[in-house]
Amino acid sequence: MALLPFLILALITGVLLNASALRNFGWSFWSFSYNFLPQTPDQSSWGIGVFVLGTALTAGLAIVFATLLSLALAVSVVVYLPSGPSRVLNMLTNLLAGIPSVVYGIWGFVILAPYFGITVEPTLRSFLFWLPGFGGPASAIGSWGILLAVFLLTIMIIPLTTALMRSALQSVPRDLVDSAVALGATRWEVARRVRFRVARRGLSSAVLLGLGRALGESVAVAMVIGGVTSLPVSLYSASTSLPSFIFFQLDSAFTYPDLLVLLVEFALVLLIITMVVNIIAQRLTQTELATATTVGTLVGREGELER
Amino acid sequence: MTAGAEGLGEEAPALTYASVSGRTRRRLIFDRFIPWLLPLAFVVVLFPLFDMIFWVAQKAVPTFTLATLTETQVGFGGGLYSMILGTLVLIAIGTAIATGIGMAAGFYTAEYAPRPVATFGRLAGNILAGVPAIVLGYFGYYLLVLYTNWGFTTLAGGIVLGIFMTPYVYRTTDLALTSVPPTQREAALAMGARPRQYLLRIAFPIALPTVLTGIFFAMALGLGEAAPIVYTAGWSSTPITGLMQPTSFLTGAIWLFYDLPPSEGTLLTLAFQAAFLLILIVLGLNVIVQLLSDRFRRRLQGLFE
Amino acid sequence: MSAEGVPTPNGVALRVRHLYVRARDRTILTDISIDIPDKEVTAVIGPSGCGKTTFIRSLNRMTETTQGLTVQGSVLYRGQEIYSPSVAPVLVRQRIGMVFQRPTVFPISVYENVAFGLRLEHQPEDRIEQEVQHSLVRAGVWEEVKNDLDRPALSLSGGQQQRICIARALAVRPRILLMDEPTASLDPVSTQRVEATLEELSQEISIVMVTHSIAQAARASTRTAYLYQGRLIEEGSTEELFERPKQKLTEEYVTGRFG
Ligand SMILES: Nc1ncnc2c1ncn2[C@@H]1O[C@H](COP(=O)(O)OP(=O)(O)OP(=O)(O)O)[C@@H](O)[C@H]1O
Ligand SMILES: [Mg+2]
Repeated sequence: MALLPFLILALITGVLLNASALRNFGWSFWSFSYNFLPQTPDQSSWGIGVFVLGTALTAGLAIVFATLLSLALAVSVVVYLPSGPSRVLNMLTNLLAGIPSVVYGIWGFVILAPYFGITVEPTLRSFLFWLPGFGGPASAIGSWGILLAVFLLTIMIIPLTTALMRSALQSVPRDLVDSAVALGATRWEVARRVRFRVARRGLSSAVLLGLGRALGESVAVAMVIGGVTSLPVSLYSASTSLPSFIFFQLDSAFTYPDLLVLLVEFALVLLIITMVVNIIAQRLTQTELATATTVGTLVGREGELER
Repeated sequence: MTAGAEGLGEEAPALTYASVSGRTRRRLIFDRFIPWLLPLAFVVVLFPLFDMIFWVAQKAVPTFTLATLTETQVGFGGGLYSMILGTLVLIAIGTAIATGIGMAAGFYTAEYAPRPVATFGRLAGNILAGVPAIVLGYFGYYLLVLYTNWGFTTLAGGIVLGIFMTPYVYRTTDLALTSVPPTQREAALAMGARPRQYLLRIAFPIALPTVLTGIFFAMALGLGEAAPIVYTAGWSSTPITGLMQPTSFLTGAIWLFYDLPPSEGTLLTLAFQAAFLLILIVLGLNVIVQLLSDRFRRRLQGLFE
Repeated sequence: MSAEGVPTPNGVALRVRHLYVRARDRTILTDISIDIPDKEVTAVIGPSGCGKTTFIRSLNRMTETTQGLTVQGSVLYRGQEIYSPSVAPVLVRQRIGMVFQRPTVFPISVYENVAFGLRLEHQPEDRIEQEVQHSLVRAGVWEEVKNDLDRPALSLSGGQQQRICIARALAVRPRILLMDEPTASLDPVSTQRVEATLEELSQEISIVMVTHSIAQAARASTRTAYLYQGRLIEEGSTEELFERPKQKLTEEYVTGRFG
């Protein structure tokens, strides 16, 4: 009975392996050229490169921003803010975790995209043009693209990373914190030199679990990334990613068996990547992906304020 | 006794903010400054939350009437009735499956499984929670739509949704049971209770609120998912008639209508209304979860000290 | 710096007057007034829960790290009120250090542990090196760890770890060291070493030590304060307090009739 989750996991992997029959994992699969020709499927090229690149770019940038913001949030709550405001802010942050990804998507597509195109992108371009990726031309199809996807992903994973970082920082023994305080360390120094160091496994694990989430997000990204399989030239370019592509194309794949097989192989690659990321995160420390944003606070004890 | 400070170290030691300079001064200033700086991150994060809720409400509310809830969408008109119904059926199936599998597995992991098995089960559960929803969707499509020859069915959608929700219920159940203080068990067994009685009469009631929290949380997540069900439950505009029929659902309405051109604006509005409804439901569930956990935390506080 | 080098005329390191510490719903310490002498070891004794820990934590504003505690009254350090709003708690704690009941080494090397307080002020490396060695010598562990400075401090024995903690506290050159049952988790041999260290240290700085062991108070301190239910019942030279206690409560406690 305790192995039910494992059996489900094995079933999923097995079904995907069976469906793919490992048909396309050849040389050209790992290339950047993707060109699907429905009429002459034999002459199509099935490179996964563009998708991996798009996934890595969106998820990678999102986790960088999310890590910085979550650290700030977690340190604020654990170290600086009194417990009343902390609770309210925790609750609001947790709410973000509950908002469905389609809702993020429609908000991004309808409301944010025009704003990004008219305000955000020109501003970034004029100030950060010297940074690689920030100086390029606008996307040809509208302001749907990498930048918008990164923004949505960042907001979407922040509740998870923040909750995990919060509990990692809180689990630092009170004694160690007190010792540093007694040596004349300021609250910030205690956080940076003791809490970060003692909790580094928990913090890294939080980052990895957040990365796993970002890598696997399909719907919201599919709605805002533009769905273009050419190589991106800047952060404003439309692009694609593994999960969003699978989500987008499953529809048309019903009519093209070859595409269906390709998609299942993409799904396998995605599954393996996220599994690896999750397993590493688990090995770093006992972290709870499933219960991070809710019940952790129920069974765990709330940390004390430190001054 | 009341002599006060006279005679004590005439020159006061440098303990005041004003008395230090250089490096130390900079440290102290930084420490005063950063508590105001760091929480600004909350503005960065919570502004989007409010912006999203504001805009979705703004697009949805003006035309939101009772008919939005009670009428079925036909062409450019009608409401969300069939989608609400479909979502309810899907989430009911999903919750039943997730609660069944999740709680059973959680019970066994916490109470009966040998340690290595339990560890392995927990790892698998956490990994399952990390499996991308679209992978589950494809899995469901291949196994329950193609392989079984069912075609798109509500049942398939519900099953995949159940698998999606399972790890949340599983981990919560296990966590809740393992954090029941061992003294409870010792006391119960010492009084002659059989292990099974202990589990049902003592451990389970203590763990129940946490488990419920997990189930509500899983439901909130399941309600908002589209990826696992779009390609398993299919789509049908008419209200659901049977489990072996395709159905419509709220998240699907958003996915189908979000990029329609303004000429078909009523459907875009319908998508926003679905989004608005989803936000309401999810926020409602979240409030329930928070209240539950606050309430039970207080009730159980003594137990966990 | 030089002003602090001057010994106080009447040899008082800390003057505590009418100190109250309150939690949300109760008073933990009631009206404590005591002079902590310079360059002596003062033992604080009393039954469990009487407020010993709270008392010494209030002497360097560590009480502020616990939510919900309020402190009222005055603590003068060499004539300076440490609870004055213009005083930075960080600076107080540099002068008045603290060692805890269980060893609390950080999960870094022995060297970095002792250097921790100095690094906060970005002292030059040669200065740090000198100070680390000197502190380890003062804490009486130099001989044992001089070849293991780069090893993780957590790999040392409990007794060694505790003396590393003492060295770490000494490295920032406090004038007063507060110790909360510093030997409670140690074996007799380590306890003896720490006590020897205390005696050495009291040549240079003042020490306030909470202890559960009446024997230890008798052995290692020159002055003793007896706390009971948040009140200071009696304080005086250790010898007097043990031989000729003025209060009945004190007598009962030191003769082991309760506590
Ligand atoms: N933050 C706090 N809030 C409420 N009560 C507290 C707090 N800290 C301590 N107390 C109470 O104050 C009393 C004194 O606590 P303290 O830890 O100072 O005692 P102690 O003499 O050090 O005990 P022990 O010998 O067991 O270490 C105890 O009854 C304790 O419950
Ligand atoms: Mg104590």
